[in-house]
Amino acid sequence: MTTGAIDDGLHESGLRAFLRLYATLFRLAIIEQFQYRAANYFYMIGMITEPVIYLVVWSTIADARGGEVGGFTAGTFAAYYIVWTLVRNMNIVFTPFGWEQRIREGQLSSQLVRPLHPIHYDLGFFAGWKVVVIVMWLPLATVLSLIFKPELNPTVAQMGAFFVAIWGAYLIRSLLLWMLGMVTFWTTRVSAAFEVFFAAELLLSGRLVPVRLMPDWAQQVAGVLPFESTFGFPITALVGPISNEELVEGLLTQAFWILFGVAGVSFMWRRAVRNYTAVSG
Amino acid sequence: MPLIDVRDLSKVFEVPEREPGLRAAAKSLVRRKTRDVRAVGDVSFEVEAGEIVGFLGPNGAGKTTTLKMLSGLLHPTSGELSVLGHEPSKRERDYLSRITLVMGNRNQLQWDLPALDSFELTRAIYRLREAPFLEQRDELIELLDLGDLVNKPVRNLSLGERMKAEIANSLLHRPSVLFLDEPTIGLDVVMQRRIRTFLAEYNTRHDASIMLTSHYMADIEALCERVIVIHEGSLLFDGALGDLSDRFAAHKTLVVTLGEAADLSGYGEVVEASPTQVTLRIPRGDTAAVTGRLLAEQPVTDLTVEDPPIDDVIELAFASGDS
Amino acid sequence: MTFLRIGVMNELQYRANFFLQIIQSVVAVGTGLIVLALIFSQTDALDGWTRPQLLAVLGVFTMVGGVIGFIIEPNMGRVMADVRQGTFDYVLTKPVDSQLLVSVREFRLWKLTDVIVGAGVVVWAVIVDDAPTGLANVAGFAVSLLAGSLMIYCVWLMLTTGAFWFVRMEMLQELFTGLYRAGQYPVGVYPGWLRAGLTFLIPIGFAVTVPSEAVTGRLTIGRLAVAVGFVLFLMALTRIVWQWGVKNYSGASA
Repeated sequence: MTTGAIDDGLHESGLRAFLRLYATLFRLAIIEQFQYRAANYFYMIGMITEPVIYLVVWSTIADARGGEVGGFTAGTFAAYYIVWTLVRNMNIVFTPFGWEQRIREGQLSSQLVRPLHPIHYDLGFFAGWKVVVIVMWLPLATVLSLIFKPELNPTVAQMGAFFVAIWGAYLIRSLLLWMLGMVTFWTTRVSAAFEVFFAAELLLSGRLVPVRLMPDWAQQVAGVLPFESTFGFPITALVGPISNEELVEGLLTQAFWILFGVAGVSFMWRRAVRNYTAVSG
Repeated sequence: MPLIDVRDLSKVFEVPEREPGLRAAAKSLVRRKTRDVRAVGDVSFEVEAGEIVGFLGPNGAGKTTTLKMLSGLLHPTSGELSVLGHEPSKRERDYLSRITLVMGNRNQLQWDLPALDSFELTRAIYRLREAPFLEQRDELIELLDLGDLVNKPVRNLSLGERMKAEIANSLLHRPSVLFLDEPTIGLDVVMQRRIRTFLAEYNTRHDASIMLTSHYMADIEALCERVIVIHEGSLLFDGALGDLSDRFAAHKTLVVTLGEAADLSGYGEVVEASPTQVTLRIPRGDTAAVTGRLLAEQPVTDLTVEDPPIDDVIELAFASGDS
Repeated sequence: MTFLRIGVMNELQYRANFFLQIIQSVVAVGTGLIVLALIFSQTDALDGWTRPQLLAVLGVFTMVGGVIGFIIEPNMGRVMADVRQGTFDYVLTKPVDSQLLVSVREFRLWKLTDVIVGAGVVVWAVIVDDAPTGLANVAGFAVSLLAGSLMIYCVWLMLTTGAFWFVRMEMLQELFTGLYRAGQYPVGVYPGWLRAGLTFLIPIGFAVTVPSEAVTGRLTIGRLAVAVGFVLFLMALTRIVWQWGVKNYSGASA
C-alpha cells in the first residue's frame, strides 16, 4: 500500500488518515452493533452451549477418574472453557461463505473503485464489533464462573500475554479466512472445502478439546498448523500451566503466522483482482 | 491530450456454454465448454475536461462494460485506454482518488447508520483534510437538498433520498471524472429532475467531466450536449444530441397552420389533419423545397419544422445498428 | 421415461447440494466419532453409558438433526419470513388448516442424507453392542423417535408463533440450533437444572436420549409412556398457542 500523500491541500498524510480510518471503522462498528445488542445476546447464548457441553463431558470424565484427566481438573476445565467463550468471540471474522455474495451483489466492485485495500474494512469493522462483544460477554462470563467455579490464577505476565494473544488470534484468523474466502474468485464450488477446513480447525485448534488431551501424533500435526495460535494458545496463556518461555514462544509463533497471513493475503489478492477484472461481467 | 482517450477498446468474455439435455449436463460435469462473447469491440472516443457525455444503447450493448473498464474494474482485452493520464486497470491510488463510479441501486452507505457516519468513513478512505472535507460535504448537502436526512439511519430513507445521499458520498473527494451508471433508475420524476439539476451544477462548479448512462431520455436531453451510441459493442454515433436525428431520422415533421382549409396531400404524407392545422411527414432532404412551396402556394399563417421525438430517433438508431 | 429424465436432470442441478451435504454429514459424524475416541481413551463409561451406547446417541442425534433440517427448520423459517414480509396473509386466506399448511410447505430433500448416515451409525452401534436387540427395542425406538421429532416440532412452532409479536425472532433459531448441540450426549450428563431445561423446556433430552435408550435396551416402558404422554400434551398446547397467535395476528394487521 502506498502512503504518498498528494500535496494539494485536499489530502492529508497517509499515517494520519490510516489511523483515522481504523478509528472511524471502530466507532461505526460499535454504534451499529450496539443497536443489535439483543440479537448479539441471543447469538452469544446459543454459542455458549457448545463450551458448556464440552465442559460438562470432560468434568464428568475427570470426576470418574478420581478428579483429573491429563492434568486438568473440573476447576481448570471450567477455566479453560470459560476463557474459551471470549477467545471464540475473538475468532469471529468475515466468513469465507460471504465472498460469493460480495462478488455477486457488487459490493466488491464498489470497494475496488475506492483507493483502499478492502481488508481494512473487515479488520477495522470486526475489531470494533469485538469491543461490543467483550462488554456483553462480561456478565455471561460472571454467570458461568458462579456456576462452574473455575480455577484461574494467572500471573501478570500471563495476563499481558493473553491480552496480546487474543488480538493476535483475531488477526491470524482474519487473514486465514480471507485467504480461504478468496478461493471463491477461481471456483464457486468452495463450500465443501470450507467444511473440511472448519472441521480440521475444530479438532486441531483446541476448540473441541485442549490439544494436550489429544494423542501425540495429533499434537504434532497441530504444532505445524496455524489453528492452535488462534484458539488453544490464547486460552492456555491465561489458564496455564505455562512458563514464561512458552509464552514468548507462543507469541512468536503468532507473529510468524501473522507474517504468513499478510504475505498470503497480498499474494492471493493481487491474483484475485487480476482474475476478477478479467472476467467479471 | 484529452481527459479520456479511448482507442480501439475491446472486451471479450469467455462464458460457459450449457447445451440442453441430459447428456450435455452430464458432460459439463467433466469438461466445461466455453464460448467467446464480444461485449465491446473497437470503440474509440475522446472526452475533454468539463464535458457531459450521454452514453446510450439498449440493454447489453456494452455501456456498463465500458464504464467498468474506464473505472478500472475490468481489464480491456485489447485497445488503449487513458483517463487523466492514467491507465485505469492499474488502479493506482492517485487515479482512484480522482474518479468516482455511481451505480443506481448499489448501496455503499452503512445501512443502519446515518449517512453522516458513512461520510466520515469516506473521508478516512480518501484521506481528506478536515476543512476541505467539511466544505465539500456541506456544499453537497445543500445542493442536493439533503438537510436533516443525513442524520437519519440510511435504512429509514426513501429510495430517492438514499440515492441523493449515495451521490453525495461518492463526490466527497471532489472527483474530476464521474462515471454514472443509471443514477436515476427507479426514482420518481421530481427526484430525477432534482438529481439532474444537481449534476449540471456540479459540472459547472468543478469543471468535472461526466459520462452518464440512463434509460430516461429526459436525463440525456437535459444534461448532455454530446451523446455516444453503442449497439452490440460497436460505436454507432458520436456527436451532438441534435445531430442524432439528422443522422438517423430520415423524415422531419411539418406543422402547418392554415388561414382556410386546404388539401396538402400533394406536399407529403399527412399524419394528422384538422380544418386549420395539418401535420406532414416529409423526407429530410426535401425540407427546404417543401416549405418554400407551401409558403408560396398555400394560405399559411404559421409553420414549424420539427425533428421526431428523441425516443423515436434512438429507436431508429438502434434499428440501423441491427441491419 | 420423461419423468425419470427430468428427475435425473433435477438431481444434477441439485448435485452440488447433495455433494455438499454428504461432505457435511461425513465431516460431522467423523468429528463425533473422533470425540468419542478421545473420551473413551480416558474412561470406560460416561455417566454409565458405554461406548456402543454413546455411538447410538450420536446416530440418533444425527438422524433427528436430519429431520429438523429436512422439514422443521425450513418451514419454521418460512413462517418467520412470511410474517416479516407480510405474505403470511396468503396462508390465512387458503381453505386449509393453517397449522398443517405452514408445517409442510418446504422440504430440503438432501438433508435426508443425515437421516441415512445417522441410521447407519445406529445400526453399527446395535451390532457392536453386546446387549441383545429385539423387536420390542425396535418398536420402542420407532415410537420414541417419532415422539421426539414431534416434540421438537411443537416447541419450535410455539417459538415461531412469537414472530407474530416480535419480528426479529430469527435469532431464536440461532439459539435453538446452538442448544440442539447439547443432544450429542445423554441428557443425564448435564447438571440438574440444565437437564430439566433440556428435557421439558427444549425437549432435546427426550428427542435424542429416549430413542437411544430404546435401541440399547435401557428404556423402561414407564419412561416411554411418560414421553408419549408429554408429546400429546405438547401437541395440544401447540394447537392452542397457534390458534391464539393467528387470532392475534389477524387482529393486529386489521
